[in-house]
Amino acid sequence: MKIVIVGNGIAGNEVAFSLRERTPEHEIKILSAEKFPEYDPCSLPYYIGGDVPREVVFRRSLDDYQNKNITLVLDSPVVSIDPHAGAVVTAKGEKHFYNKLVLAHGGRLFIPPIEGVDRQGVLSCKLLGEADKLSEHGGSTAVVIGSGAIGVEAAEALKKKGYVVYIIELLDWILPALFDEATARRLEAALRTYGIQVLTAEKVLRIDGDTAVTGVVTDKREIPCDTVVIATGVVPGTALAQTAGIEVERGIKVNSRMETSVEGIYACGDCVETIDACTGEDVMFQLKHNATEQARIVARNILGMNATYTGAYAFARAHFFDTHAVTFGKTSRSTACLLGDTEVIERENGKDYLRLILLDGKVAGGQAIGTYADSIGLFMGAMWRQDDIKTLRKNWVNIVRAGSPYPWIYRKMGWLIGLSATDVSSDAAAVCQSF
Amino acid sequence: MSSKDQKIFVVDERKCDGCRECEKACSHKHFGVCSPRHSRIRIEAFGDGDLFVPVFCQACGDPLCIKVCPMNARIELANGAVVTDEDRCIGCRTCVYICPVGAPVENPVSGKLMTCDRCAEDEELPLCVQACSKQQALRFVDARVVARTTARECAARLKAAYKPPKVPE
Repeated sequence: MKIVIVGNGIAGNEVAFSLRERTPEHEIKILSAEKFPEYDPCSLPYYIGGDVPREVVFRRSLDDYQNKNITLVLDSPVVSIDPHAGAVVTAKGEKHFYNKLVLAHGGRLFIPPIEGVDRQGVLSCKLLGEADKLSEHGGSTAVVIGSGAIGVEAAEALKKKGYVVYIIELLDWILPALFDEATARRLEAALRTYGIQVLTAEKVLRIDGDTAVTGVVTDKREIPCDTVVIATGVVPGTALAQTAGIEVERGIKVNSRMETSVEGIYACGDCVETIDACTGEDVMFQLKHNATEQARIVARNILGMNATYTGAYAFARAHFFDTHAVTFGKTSRSTACLLGDTEVIERENGKDYLRLILLDGKVAGGQAIGTYADSIGLFMGAMWRQDDIKTLRKNWVNIVRAGSPYPWIYRKMGWLIGLSATDVSSDAAAVCQSF
Repeated sequence: MSSKDQKIFVVDERKCDGCRECEKACSHKHFGVCSPRHSRIRIEAFGDGDLFVPVFCQACGDPLCIKVCPMNARIELANGAVVTDEDRCIGCRTCVYICPVGAPVENPVSGKLMTCDRCAEDEELPLCVQACSKQQALRFVDARVVARTTARECAARLKAAYKPPKVPE
């Protein structure tokens, strides 16, 4: 069987190597649009910022492909699929025939229609090629357009390189898809203390300069700069799927076996729209752990093992300098339009902040900054188990009773949401004195 | 993924009396100091000392921390332990957040994260388990027998609970 995988990212490689782990048969071919073996886009900002050397971003070397008998075709973006002939055509005009096709080409950076985005010095941080340019770019003032996770990480990286950094966000607060306003404002304040200028609710009108960038003009001010980083989000690559007549909505539609609407074609990774594992809604979380899990399902289904994908889940962290924040599940904004009683539990202790979003008494999502974030895994567990926080409150007397049959995690959760002021003492500093 | 012939940790928090010998043993083995801050296992104390829970990396099957780590620094060792490659780790704490119990601990020397390495291969038993030989709250046993022994222990507890009180003759 000939298996062709479009895309050499996390998902594509996971499919190829999971297949190879299970069987030495079948011809596996990966068509990559780029010139590198597999690398991790999540680690690019840390390479740009100089935290780690360049080789750390790579997850595999070219030898790994050879050793596992996987053909890697570099620099060959696929432009169209012919499902009747069972072939894909690359930009160079080469035809690759397949019995099973996996679409794992992910998404591409959304370039906003701003005047001057083609100027020299307008860079991005999604692909390694672009990251290399950004890393070698010798500028002094940078404007990051967009404040998603990539934008904030890119801003941190540039700040570490000594740039003067501005972040411009069109919406009211930074990281708008991941955090609620209360959390985001705290992160914004933290970014400012590190010397990064954050400008929210501001629209970039144009990028100035003849050939090289000289400044950015927004609806409120003009910022002279020599570097612009576009971080305005990633759009799923659905155009390729449409050439084969595959059903597409926001992303490529797949069933629970990760099959597209055309037989013999599977899809996984950033380009697919799938279901939320908790709520069953159609969602698109373009996150690494989901790509990995989807890819493993694809690999098993190609081999006829009939695996079912249970769904994707949202989990992301925001980390810059000493500030650590995390988010999972839904935000207040995304629960606002749902039926049911919503409740928000907020806890604050200096710079630490915990925010839990309850829907009908059950944890639907949460955000945390600082030490509260270290225990967020307990609440993610509560979300998966559909624990009722109302029951936790009602049974609190029994939970804290000596010899209680309840698992200790309930006790810790209760303490974290403030049911008891002095229940847990895990502070290592306090213990040190007892030694 | 831990295969069945590997040894795994069994924790019985009911037996833990909070003596923190495990923390001392762990920090001494890895850093040469006796300090809970340097320990990869931590004891969470609840209430007025009525519950102590040893929390550390259990190296779950298909670990989530491996999937979410942005730097791909979490790696699985041959002995089943899941540890952090300090050359890659940037200290972003993603592994702490995704962990169901928040097990990874920040290395106070390097600022990177660290988890239990089961004392690698150089000890007969992990040192924390040796330190807990009196209480037996921590045990390191064959994965195949753990289900059987824990089932027996549960049954014994139930039996004790349901046993009719002795009537003096």
